[in-house]
Amino acid sequence: MIKAIAVKLFTSLLVVAGSLLLVFTILYLLPGDPVDSILDPTQATPEMIANLRAQLGTDQPYYVQLFHYFGHMARGDFGESLLTSEPVLPKILDNFPATLSLTLTSAAVSVVVGVLLGVLSAIHRNKPIDIIARIVGLFGISMPTFWSGILLLLVFSIHWGWFPAMGSDGWRTLVLPSITLGLIGAGFIVRMVRNSMLEVINESFIVTLRSKGLTERAVMYRHALRNALIPAVTLMGTLVGEMLAGTVVIETVFARQGIGRIISDALMAKDFPVVQGVIFFTAIIYVAVNLIVDLSYSFIDPRVRRSA
Amino acid sequence: MKPLSAIFKHTAWITALVLVLTACSGNSGSGGTNTGSKPDSGQSPAATQAAAQGGDLSFALATSPDTLDPARSGLAVAIRVYRALFDNLVVQLPDSSIKPWLATEWTISDDGLDYTFKLRQDVKFHDGTPFNADAVKFSFERILDPATKSGNALALLTPLESVDVIDDYTVKLHLSKPSRAFLTNLSSASLSIVSPAAVAKYGDQFGQNPVGTGPFIFVKWDQNQQIVLKRNPDYKWAPETIENKGAPYLDTLTFKIVTEEATRIGSVQSGQVLAAETVPPQNVLALKNDSKTQLIQVNTSGLPYTLFINEKKEPWNDLKARQALQYGIDVATIVKTLYLGTYDQAWSALAPGMTGYDASLENALKPDPAKAGQLLDELGWVKGADGIREKDGKQLTLNYVDGSPNREKRNDIAVMIQQQLKAIGIKVNVNITKDTTTVVYTNGDYDIYGNSQVNVDPNALYQFYHTPAQGARPTIANYSNPETDALLEQAAVEKDDAKRADLYKQIQQKISADAVIIPIYVFPYTVAAAKSVQGLKFDLTGYPWFNDTSIQK
Repeated sequence: MIKAIAVKLFTSLLVVAGSLLLVFTILYLLPGDPVDSILDPTQATPEMIANLRAQLGTDQPYYVQLFHYFGHMARGDFGESLLTSEPVLPKILDNFPATLSLTLTSAAVSVVVGVLLGVLSAIHRNKPIDIIARIVGLFGISMPTFWSGILLLLVFSIHWGWFPAMGSDGWRTLVLPSITLGLIGAGFIVRMVRNSMLEVINESFIVTLRSKGLTERAVMYRHALRNALIPAVTLMGTLVGEMLAGTVVIETVFARQGIGRIISDALMAKDFPVVQGVIFFTAIIYVAVNLIVDLSYSFIDPRVRRSA
Repeated sequence: MKPLSAIFKHTAWITALVLVLTACSGNSGSGGTNTGSKPDSGQSPAATQAAAQGGDLSFALATSPDTLDPARSGLAVAIRVYRALFDNLVVQLPDSSIKPWLATEWTISDDGLDYTFKLRQDVKFHDGTPFNADAVKFSFERILDPATKSGNALALLTPLESVDVIDDYTVKLHLSKPSRAFLTNLSSASLSIVSPAAVAKYGDQFGQNPVGTGPFIFVKWDQNQQIVLKRNPDYKWAPETIENKGAPYLDTLTFKIVTEEATRIGSVQSGQVLAAETVPPQNVLALKNDSKTQLIQVNTSGLPYTLFINEKKEPWNDLKARQALQYGIDVATIVKTLYLGTYDQAWSALAPGMTGYDASLENALKPDPAKAGQLLDELGWVKGADGIREKDGKQLTLNYVDGSPNREKRNDIAVMIQQQLKAIGIKVNVNITKDTTTVVYTNGDYDIYGNSQVNVDPNALYQFYHTPAQGARPTIANYSNPETDALLEQAAVEKDDAKRADLYKQIQQKISADAVIIPIYVFPYTVAAAKSVQGLKFDLTGYPWFNDTSIQK
């Protein structure tokens, strides 16, 4: 068990380093550089541009910049924003709580809505609730968040004024964005839970349990659901990744604070250190969540425990 | 058929959505709208009542400032906030004249190289530092220092060479060459005076902790969320463009950062914010007719959005080919179609209302496809089988470069021009790129590229239309005409205002006659606000003054 965790930790580290290298390379290859965002090209002289590039080090070859960057990272120095000279780490730490609360509430919405509808639709197959669940699943998966977000906003905030349209202070500001984002995950979970529930229901042990005289409720919710949830747990890791990615759009639509906003702005301006800092953070979280998911199997599914 | 219930649910939603979008309001209030003619005006309330004291004005910005350090950022959105935090030595009135602000009077030496300013003695910065000649010297030298990485501010401060403190309240600015634009430029918010003590304290982070002498004091900045300012109770040095000579009426001023258009505009309609900037053309009418909101529109001064024709490229180095573009592009239709009558068409290299703007150019050029075709025929470009003109086996193509994201529908302009020029036999390749710096300024790989610039002095034309010095950066149009050069040089130093205005008129005439550009639209700055917001004013460049702003209870 300990060894398994150690191996997982090591591979996780590789994943983080790999994603940093990948992002660095993509940013390097993309056209444009931060100088465009700092200086107005119609007013800057070539000399000004060259000086600034030298100052920022963006005129150095790829491997030099890479070496510098990873050297600093290894010393725990995330650098400063090229645009505003703010240190990157505090900037991320300041904005992270807002993104975390959005991600967690969205994941909660996904799980609650997804599992509930998934189970109900499997049990009441081809009944109205099943059809509703399938529609929710379809919509959740196929609606782009920027559209569904604006729709919710227009109806529940602008028109009826139930929830604020912007900001990230207090639970009320979380309602609309987390529903928007949560619906995506809910869409996936509904389908997954429904299918695995239907599979489990038809397995022989369920028949055995029924013949033992257990109530239908106990059979369904205590035994069938437990087995049906195992594949859904696998989805949790991917889901948190989805949610983190979704915050980029959602934070813009609902004018929230957060690292999703930071990274989209930084990408536009090619602000390398900020982009890399956010990537580092999100990669760590993603890896940590997946690690937890892997470990939790052994608690849910005895078969995994024995093989570990 | 149960799914129907689900469908009905959505129908209800969509109906609600349509209701919201059309913003049905039976009685159409008269939204106070000003367009262009008097840039420095807010709304004029029907009955002048005493301004209400107190309250918090929330003002939604479309983008986030990168920093609030005037020396560092030239982003328009940052400049909108500068006006509340900082003051300048001088102010520009709507008639373009320059009047005292932090400077009470000034003298200019006969050779036009030395500007000596007498300063107010009763001004202090938000951190208690007294405002004096040292602060002016510090602010300007900081912009000149390459370590500051100043862009916009540095361009505006050129040709300043050195700053001398004569005594505590007298400062002398020495230029390397005379410039009539210099004094006007000192009124730009980018050349605001900053607190030397605060810069020493915060260093590189001054832009996150700005300290000025302005009507509002910086409180906090929640990244991507809001910038909060509070009233400066000691403020009593407003310039003459401001009616309220004392501290502002508002207790606090909160700039909310709301990039999503629908959220921003919707929040004004639902009262979640009191004002929002940058109203898209399709929402203008609804907000004007909404009894709860008013729409304020100001045309910004400077250079309108203009398409520059690259004279380095064949066949556009020939006047006739460029004239064919002038006749072949129907600007009026483009502006009407895309902006639904909310933007004014531009006719000249300068925006209306600026010193020397030549109104005689308005409506002087009419689109004339037949004439355009005739000009191209004369050059030997004849229509081929597919309707595109050819000469010596080559097709007549035009490489149109535009930046992304699609700011003010500029990409749509490109597409419409593509259609219009196809009709006269020119094939337009539209190249939308994020990296215009490399494509346009480094590689020069374009036949047409558009640009606009907010500016206070007509001398802004110099860097776009004057032949660059040896080794300097080329201009976008690569236009070079000794007569225009001479006029621009003369206008930059001409001491007589009437003569100077006349020189700029001649320059605009030349640019039009030489078919250097296709002017497209004058950029308006639009703000939607609740009816309760009074006295929101704008300077010539479309930046808001909040000194006179109040919220009627």
